[in-house]
Amino acid sequence: MNALACAWRSLVRQPARSGLGIIGVAAVGALLFDMLLLSEGLMISTRSMLDSMPFDIRVTSTDQMPGRGPDIADGPAAAAQIAALASVKAVTTLRREDAYLMRGDGTRAYGSVLGIGFGSGRPWTLVSGTDVVGDNEIVINEFAAQVTGTDIGASLTVRSNCADGATAPPAMEFRVTGIATFVFDALGEAGAGMTDTSLAEACGTPGAIPADFLMVQSTGDATSTAADIDALGLHLQASTNDEAMGQLQQREFTYFRQISTVLTTITISFALLLITVLLTVSVNQRLGEVAALRALGFSQGRVVLDVLWESVLIVGIGGILSLPLGALMAVWLDGILKRMPRIPADLHFFVFQPEAVWIHAALMAVTAFTAAIYPMVIVARLPIATTLRNEVVG
Amino acid sequence: MSDVIVDAANVSRAFEMPAGAVVAVRDVTLSIAQGEHAAISGPSGCGKSTLLHMLGCVDTPSSGTLCFDGSDVSTLDDRARSRLRLRQIGFVFQRFYLLPMLSAAENVELPQAEAGAAKDVRRLRSIELLEYVGLEHRANHRPSQLSGGEMQRVAIARALANRPRLLLADEPTGELDQATSEQVAVLLDRVNADGTALVIVTHDPDLAGRARRVLTMKDGQIEQEVTR
Repeated sequence: MNALACAWRSLVRQPARSGLGIIGVAAVGALLFDMLLLSEGLMISTRSMLDSMPFDIRVTSTDQMPGRGPDIADGPAAAAQIAALASVKAVTTLRREDAYLMRGDGTRAYGSVLGIGFGSGRPWTLVSGTDVVGDNEIVINEFAAQVTGTDIGASLTVRSNCADGATAPPAMEFRVTGIATFVFDALGEAGAGMTDTSLAEACGTPGAIPADFLMVQSTGDATSTAADIDALGLHLQASTNDEAMGQLQQREFTYFRQISTVLTTITISFALLLITVLLTVSVNQRLGEVAALRALGFSQGRVVLDVLWESVLIVGIGGILSLPLGALMAVWLDGILKRMPRIPADLHFFVFQPEAVWIHAALMAVTAFTAAIYPMVIVARLPIATTLRNEVVG
Repeated sequence: MSDVIVDAANVSRAFEMPAGAVVAVRDVTLSIAQGEHAAISGPSGCGKSTLLHMLGCVDTPSSGTLCFDGSDVSTLDDRARSRLRLRQIGFVFQRFYLLPMLSAAENVELPQAEAGAAKDVRRLRSIELLEYVGLEHRANHRPSQLSGGEMQRVAIARALANRPRLLLADEPTGELDQATSEQVAVLLDRVNADGTALVIVTHDPDLAGRARRVLTMKDGQIEQEVTR
């Protein structure tokens, strides 16, 4: 009978103790798995959303993320200069403002309205109906349609709340031409799209057509296209998806990574303590048996290996159980976090990636070994004769 | 190969205690030869078990020389001493120390597995030994399903698993009633009669009286030696 088989029998011998250990490791391992999913989840999810849009460069007025810095004062003019570059395939201006979408009967939904201009690109995908082609036309998302009870062809009044708009912007009537999904749609929030000139009118400033940012599609090499845009001397900042992700990682998501690192460390520490205590108690309960085995000629390495295998089995079984448990918890926690306002429905905080499983397995393996160190030292240094004598006297 | 298995020359064993060193065995000279049957008796704390542990190479003398098969044990590292115990020495303990999660047969197999014996060889040897101690019908029983006497007989079978030349028993009947003790004593006599040298540490005068050589210890020294 080898060390692994002996360790397995030892676990089975004390089912309550082993069961508690395995459940404890499963719970801690599930948290650890979730922290690993969280540490990269936002980055992967955001990247996926950015890549799903037909643009690979964002042009803003400063190095802030779109919508965070000042507007580009004359969006169409800047777009026209950029569109003239040979490395640019398409340019569209985008402005986002908050607004109420209202029916005549007073039914209304609050959400965001996107105003797009210059090019033909759209930051939304049409589900039904037709796209906006002129002023006083609007596409809305499913949620807005449901809340306001609006269908294609119906009229909808928009009362905007623009950052740089008039104090009391007019309520403007639009015709719904289509239902669309917006990449950054938030759960339970209305979304709508119209032309930039329509939005400027709705904001009460028809003469000015600012843009939060310009969405640029390169002909192939986004990096060189961004450099071409910078070279125009427009005093605008062009950033590729990679650069945008880098900024997010440095400025926005670093908190999640730090939280996940801290919680990972804490959960691993708990697992270490749990297994070390369980194994130490177990080993101390059978010092006599270990000393007897040593007296019978079992090597130091063999009795140490018994303890290590016991740790590996507890952590291994608990670790395997922790994966589905962690996946369920991740879905649940993701649902809770996505209820925060303005969180896009397609954004996920916990994203599964194969690497997370491997890192989880590696951390659990290190935990199993580290947790077994102290009880292994007890067994390795056990004085055989003294232990046998003390057991009899005791 | 010499007739002498283990040879202790002027061995002492002292333990460091907070109140000062305590000498458990003092300047003992003793040889155990092939096929010998010896008993060590004496009052509690006289150093019987400590001497047995040194003879069994689980403890090392503080002074003096202990040779096993002519080799100085003090020159062996832990691994070599473990190997020596595994192949040459069998131990029987007062508290049996059978592994509770294994069956009787598996307990007997365990030292053979450690010695590298093949699975089918181990199985056959375990059955043979359980037959030898009269417990073949209990081969698949766990220690918790055995009586004290049965557990000690399984422990004797386990001690014999790797065909040791020397069997050391520390109070083998210490936890048994008189009738069961007699069964265990008869079994140990048989083991010795079949050629294994036997050294028993015991308080029990009846068990000690079965040995051909009885050593009586007092204050860490052999006070009296009677050979029949």
